Amino acid sequence: MKVGIPRGLLFYRFYSLWTTYLKELGVDIVISPPTNKLIIQHGLTYGIEEICFPVKVFLGHCYYLKDKVDLLFIPRVVSFSKNEYNCPKILGLPDVVRNLFHLPQERIIDDEINMRDRGIIGWRQGFIEIGKRFTSNIRKINNALQIAEEAHLQYRKKIAEGYFPDNLIDNRPVLANHPEKILLLGHNYLIDDNYINMNILDKINNIGYSVVTSDMVDKKKIRNALKKIPKPSFWTISNEILGTTLHYIQERDSTIKGFIHLVSFECGPDSLVGELIERWLKREKHSIPYLRLEIDEHTGEAGLITRLEAFVDMMKWRTETFESNLSSSCSSECSSGSSLSNIRR
Amino acid sequence: MKVTLGNFIEGIEKGADTIFMAGGVGPCRFGYYGQIQRIIIEDLGYDVNFVIIDFPRYGWKNLFSSLKTMMGGKWSIPRISRAVTLAWNVLRFVEDLEKNSRSIRWKLKDPNQLDILVENCLKEIKKVESVAQLEEIKEKTFQDISRLDTIEKNNPIKIGIVGEVYIAQEFRVNFDIEKLLGNMGILVDNSVSTVEYILNFLPFTRSWEKEEAWKLAKPFLKRFVGGEGIDTVGSTIRYAQQGFDGVIHLYPFTCMPEVVAKSVVTGVGREYNIPVLHLAVDEHAGEAGMITRVEAFIDVLEMRRKQNVQVTPCF
Repeated sequence: MKVGIPRGLLFYRFYSLWTTYLKELGVDIVISPPTNKLIIQHGLTYGIEEICFPVKVFLGHCYYLKDKVDLLFIPRVVSFSKNEYNCPKILGLPDVVRNLFHLPQERIIDDEINMRDRGIIGWRQGFIEIGKRFTSNIRKINNALQIAEEAHLQYRKKIAEGYFPDNLIDNRPVLANHPEKILLLGHNYLIDDNYINMNILDKINNIGYSVVTSDMVDKKKIRNALKKIPKPSFWTISNEILGTTLHYIQERDSTIKGFIHLVSFECGPDSLVGELIERWLKREKHSIPYLRLEIDEHTGEAGLITRLEAFVDMMKWRTETFESNLSSSCSSECSSGSSLSNIRR
Repeated sequence: MKVTLGNFIEGIEKGADTIFMAGGVGPCRFGYYGQIQRIIIEDLGYDVNFVIIDFPRYGWKNLFSSLKTMMGGKWSIPRISRAVTLAWNVLRFVEDLEKNSRSIRWKLKDPNQLDILVENCLKEIKKVESVAQLEEIKEKTFQDISRLDTIEKNNPIKIGIVGEVYIAQEFRVNFDIEKLLGNMGILVDNSVSTVEYILNFLPFTRSWEKEEAWKLAKPFLKRFVGGEGIDTVGSTIRYAQQGFDGVIHLYPFTCMPEVVAKSVVTGVGREYNIPVLHLAVDEHAGEAGMITRVEAFIDVLEMRRKQNVQVTPCF
C-alpha cells in the first residue's frame, strides 16, 4: 500500500515525525516533489478563490499525488500545543481536499491529532489511530511512534541550530554565516518552501545577512515573552511569531538589524498578528525596521527583490545614522515612540 | 471587525467611556478581535476603558473583573440577572419578529406597511423596562402583522440563507438581503440566529435544528472548524432536503471557517443538486453589484423550475 504525503503546510514542521513513523510501520511513502509551477497551477484550478495561497499549493500537491498513491496522508492536526488551535483551514483540510477533488472518504488518512484539551494523550491517540490502519500490532505501533518522536526531536534540534528543512530534506548546501542578521517571521510553510517565497533565504543571504527564524529561538523564551501580553493568540504558529517578536523587542540583540514578516495574502491569523507587531514596533523609541511581505500567486519576483533591496538600504542608512548619533527623530517610525511598558499593559 | 471598530469609535465620540467586547478561544479570528481593537483605539489616542469578556478557560478572575467594570465597580447579582433576562427576552422577541415578517413578506400586497410596523415596534422596544411591557408590545405587533393585506400566491421560490452570524443577520451590512428577496416575492428562511448563537455556548441548549444540521454535515465536514462553518454546511443540506430552490451563503471576505465551509459546500451542491450563491461581503462590496447577482441567481432558479433540468450550476 502506497501512502502519499503532500509537501505543503505542516509538512515542513513534521517531516521527520511523519516519514519515520510511516516507514517504521512498513508503509511505502511517496512525497510529492518540491513545489513547482505545474503544482501551483493545479492548486489554483481546484482551490476556491478565497482560500489562502499555501492551501492552494497544498491542493496542487494533493492533485499530483492523488492518482499515484492509494492513500493520502492528511492528518487533521487540530492542535499541537495545549490550549491552542491551528487555523480553521488546517482543521478542515482533509474535508476541503475530499470535497474539491471528489475523493472517497477511505482514501484519506484524516485522523484527528488534538493536544488542545488532553495534551500529549490526544497527540498519541491520534497517531495510534493512524497506525491501526496499517497494523493491529499495538506494540509495533508504540515502538514506531517512539522512534518517530525521537527523530522529530532530533530534527527540531537541527532546525533550532540554524539548519533549514531544505538542508535536511533535499540536502541543499547550507548557507554562509554572516555577522549581521535579519529576523524572518512567518509560518513554516512560507519560510521553508523556497518556491513560494521565491528563494528569499538565498536572496537575503546574498545581500549579506543571515536569517533567524522563530524556530531558532528557544521555546521557553518565547513562552516567557508571551506572558507579558494580556492575551496571547490561540494559534500555535502565530503565537510563536508574536513571542519571537516580543522577545527580540525586549532583548535588543544588536546583531538583528531588521524584521521581515512573510505573510500570505488572506492569512487570517497573520492579518491580526501582523497588525499587532507593526503597532508594537511603532511604539518603540528606537524602533527596528520592519517589512511585511505579502505573498500570493500573483507576486512577481522583481517586485520582491526591489522591496527587499529598498529595505536593506533603509536598514543600512538607519544603522549609520544611529551610530553617528545624529538626531534620532529623523525617522518617521520613531517619532511616536513611547517606552516598552506600553506593550506590557 | 472593521464594522465593530467603527461602532466603537462612533460610540466614543458620542461620549462613551467604556467599551465592551466579547472574546473567545478560537479557532475563529473573532476571539482575538478585542485585543487588536484595544491596541488600535489606544494608538488613536482615545482614553477609554476597554472591557473584554472572555471564556473561563483563561481564568474566572478575568470574567468577574470585567463584569465588575461593566457595573461601574459595584457588585449586584439581582441587577445582573435582571439585565440579562430583559436583554434575553428582547433578543428573542426581535428574532421572532424577524421570523414572522420573513414568513409573510412574500405574499404581501404592500411590503412597505410591514416595514413601518416593524420600525415602530423597534422604537417602542427601546423604551421597554420590564418583561411584561415587552409581552404587550409583542402581542400587539403580531396581531397587526397578521392583519396586513395579502395576495393569493402559491408555491413561491424558496431560498435559504446560511453563513456567518454577523453578516447574515445585520441588515445594514448585507444590504438587507431578506427584504430584497421578500419584496421580489420569494420565501426566505434564515438558518442563522443570534439566539442560537448564544445557546451554542451553553451545554444541552442547542435546538434540534442545529443538532440535525450538525449530524447532516458530518459526512462532508467531520469536525467543528470554528465560527459557523459546520452550521453552514449542515443547513445547506437541510434546505436541500426540504426542497428549497436555492441557498445563499453570506460571509465576510476571507472569513476562515466560512472559506472552509465554502470549499465543502461545493461538494454538497454536487451531491444534493442544489444551487448555492456565495456572496462575500466586505467594505468594497457595492449594493448594485450585489443586487444584480442576486437577481441573476433568482433567474437561474426560476429557469430550473420551468425546465426541471438536473444541471449543477457552479458559482
